[in-house]
Amino acid sequence: MRLTLDTYAGLHSPLHCWWPRSKLVGLGVLMLGFACVQQVQLIPVCLMVTAVLYGLSGLPWSFLRSRLRYPGLFLLGLVIALPLLSGSTILWQWGPFAIRQEGLLAMGLIAGRFLSIVTLGMLLLGTTPLLMLIDSLVSLGLPPLLAEMTLLSYRYLFDMADQLTNLRQAMRLRGFHPNGNRQSWQQLAAVAGTLLVRSYEQSERVYKAMRLRGYGHSQSVKSQIKGWGKSADLVAIGLCATISLALIGTQIWLTVPET
Amino acid sequence: MHIPDGFIPPQVCIVGYGLSGLITWHCLRQVQRHPDPAAQMPKASLLAAAFFVVTSIQIPLPPMSLHLVLSGLLGAVLGYYAFLAILIGLFFQALFLGHGGLSTLGVNSLIIGIPALVGYGIFHLRRWLPRALTPSVRDGISGFLAGAIGMMLAVTIFISLLIFAIPVGFDAATERMALLTLGIAHGPLVLVEGIFTALLVTFLRRTKPELLTGLVSKPTPEWATERISQPEPTNSGNYSADRLCD
Repeated sequence: MRLTLDTYAGLHSPLHCWWPRSKLVGLGVLMLGFACVQQVQLIPVCLMVTAVLYGLSGLPWSFLRSRLRYPGLFLLGLVIALPLLSGSTILWQWGPFAIRQEGLLAMGLIAGRFLSIVTLGMLLLGTTPLLMLIDSLVSLGLPPLLAEMTLLSYRYLFDMADQLTNLRQAMRLRGFHPNGNRQSWQQLAAVAGTLLVRSYEQSERVYKAMRLRGYGHSQSVKSQIKGWGKSADLVAIGLCATISLALIGTQIWLTVPET
Repeated sequence: MHIPDGFIPPQVCIVGYGLSGLITWHCLRQVQRHPDPAAQMPKASLLAAAFFVVTSIQIPLPPMSLHLVLSGLLGAVLGYYAFLAILIGLFFQALFLGHGGLSTLGVNSLIIGIPALVGYGIFHLRRWLPRALTPSVRDGISGFLAGAIGMMLAVTIFISLLIFAIPVGFDAATERMALLTLGIAHGPLVLVEGIFTALLVTFLRRTKPELLTGLVSKPTPEWATERISQPEPTNSGNYSADRLCD
């Protein structure tokens, strides 16, 4: 399981220098604007804005490619299914297969929106260390208990993944080969159960250690991120909001029937 | 079972975030009612991380293999923490693996979180099962029901949401056929989820039965809530939390 995300968070680019709290709000607003797009004519604008931002971030294209591998399967399914199944205007036909205009447009719309939003998400996460991102969320009102749970889960996620790798390796070394019979299911349930029991026992040790360090007596998680950064950070939020509002406005203008 | 970014209309995403926020608020309120919620937090967090990892185990079902959701078991073990753990798990899945998405986090948390809370309720109905059955069998049955019904509910919510997402020009007969096929294709998953949850519950009952009492209902140990007035003089190397904090 590949659980690394902060690999490129240390680069130096306008996106990396953007104040995390402002970046979260700015890119969030932009994502909302992209999600509101219902007209395929607006998709090139979304893709262009995304490409410019990605170029500015200095993140390598291989990062985006690797992150799009799994969601790309969904995209592939969409590209194959929609033009063949949706709509009535046939553009091209070969035997029982027909490419339909409405399906093609719907495919372009969904795929474009999907690519833009996913890339913006990758930009947000690729240019901000996760801990700083959670800190920004706390500063924007995320409940402290949820923030503490997120931080602690993140801290032990890697340990759990390592433990599962060790358990799998140990099973393989002892000749385990999953073949779908009752015994192999029971063994897999035992692996999952062992991981849960170990994590429960570890959590008791972690809690004792946390208590020894004063956990529960002092105030809970407090954000270190205050304010909205410099004026350039605010300008960037304004720019994102303007693009988002312009998209929503154009969308409304395009959908209102001419009188 | 995860809806990706850009697939459903923005209105559905916003409503999803709203509903998910309400449920999160309710769960946080329930959790805060516990005499010492801080004591349960590390357990919930580590178990959330473990569940996240456990769902990556592939279950062989020839000729394919499946990933489990385990929402029913999550509810049985974590109680009201389950929804919070699912929210965090889905956030990590969107970040690390590209499953789901950030704009659809609210909707996806409803698809998996509501069945977890329902699974919590179903699992705790085991006390109503006939006394003639052994406790292990009772746990197995309630585990199966929590897993299977939870999964069935998740599939129902997922398909209902997909109906919103299908383009208007989609042929009605094809749409019905596609949704029916999707529902039937998830049938084996419902059974597998139920059976695997029952096996896991039986294993946990044998090895760590306190895990099945639910975090919220479990009484807090005295050392975690009460302040010790007299530090124990037996061993000067042993530090208690209160001695350090006073």
